[in-house]
Amino acid sequence: MPDILEQLAALREHETRVAMATLIAARGGSPRPIGAKLFVGEGGRLLGSVSIGGCVDARVVEHGERLLRENRAQRVTVTVDDSEAVELGLACGAEFDLLIEPISLNGTDSAIEAFQTATNISRSGKEAYVITRIPAAGPPARMVSSEPFDATGPDVFVERIAPADTLVLVGASDVGAALARIARGLGMRVVVVDGRERYATRDRFATADEILVGMPSELARPHYKAGTYVVLVGHEYKYDLPVLRDALRAPVRYVGMLAGRKRADSMRGLLRDEGLSAEHIARLHSPIGLDIGGREPEEIALSIAAQLIAVREGKPIAQRG
Amino acid sequence: MTLPYGAVVLEHFRRPRNQRALERPSAAHEAFNPLCGDRVRIELELHGAAIRAAAFTANACALCTASASLLTDRLVGLAVEAAVRITAAETLAALQTDVPRAREACAVLPLTALKEALRGSEGA
Repeated sequence: MPDILEQLAALREHETRVAMATLIAARGGSPRPIGAKLFVGEGGRLLGSVSIGGCVDARVVEHGERLLRENRAQRVTVTVDDSEAVELGLACGAEFDLLIEPISLNGTDSAIEAFQTATNISRSGKEAYVITRIPAAGPPARMVSSEPFDATGPDVFVERIAPADTLVLVGASDVGAALARIARGLGMRVVVVDGRERYATRDRFATADEILVGMPSELARPHYKAGTYVVLVGHEYKYDLPVLRDALRAPVRYVGMLAGRKRADSMRGLLRDEGLSAEHIARLHSPIGLDIGGREPEEIALSIAAQLIAVREGKPIAQRG
Repeated sequence: MTLPYGAVVLEHFRRPRNQRALERPSAAHEAFNPLCGDRVRIELELHGAAIRAAAFTANACALCTASASLLTDRLVGLAVEAAVRITAAETLAALQTDVPRAREACAVLPLTALKEALRGSEGA
């Protein structure tokens, strides 16, 4: 899920008021997760979506513009009948419940304050919950909790703001630069580590959250957590070996290394000789990425990003031949 | 992985000696090659005018790693005065292989780290 504060910051450059539409319930299937947001700017700009586009989002935009004019919040239900569903690619008709409310981007706004508090908690590595009470009339009221909260009744909506997954990129290569851009768009926190300051630069990694230059294995280690994806794209055994020794033993979500089959097998052999268990070595994804046949850095990065998404979503990944 | 170097380099790359961090180093320096990206940190525990313990950490190529392993092995028990006089030629010779001129910087990097560590410890 995109970082809501980053979305609001992007809107603030051009808009002073927006309608924030939040998908709070769906019946009959939804292509977007509950909690998805679409912002409708007073100046006409749109950001995000609550569906896959088409008439659902279009109707939400209309409601958003109306509620901005009326300066009030409303719970809205958008219904898609069967013929529309076919056009949308949905298996059957569906209903979407949305909370649409005006948000002031300049000055104080209680919704922004709640998400600011929750995001600060999640950026510290903990989960946060934004609990929204939706009255029959009047503006919604929000509170933030760092403890799980069970929603009770249709008038309460709970959003879990989880810490972003972290991508640790070892090797500030062109593939790494392309992957950093894609991963940031996927809502991941991106940490770049390399021993070479001419490669690991802000120019090359404009959107990275952290760029660290030094001993790569030591710089990467503090980031090894349950939501961490370690991707080695330097194609340098001098970094790959020491990083893999740690990362494969660490409780990270994913470890992948850019390498051809022969090189990958050689690295596995070296790690085995050093005493790493077969179980640890089996965690290594190498060759990395889904086999889509691309050769350019952007294409390789795309194949890696696709594999990261598959792992995140628990999809089986075929071993590459 | 096949390495184009002799048995000594291969042995010290695959099973490096003294590759660890010292608990309380009295002298340390991390040297790096900005282009190839080799990084090696030498740590020393000094006792009076002698080196009681030497260790290294490296994210580096086989030549550099093997060189750091051989160098730290040599340092233990050595007088600081003698360590300061170790030359690049001696460091290269210890590898017992033909080191291409373009790769000499890799092999000598641990020595650079050692000299800087000792320089930094002067007067400490």
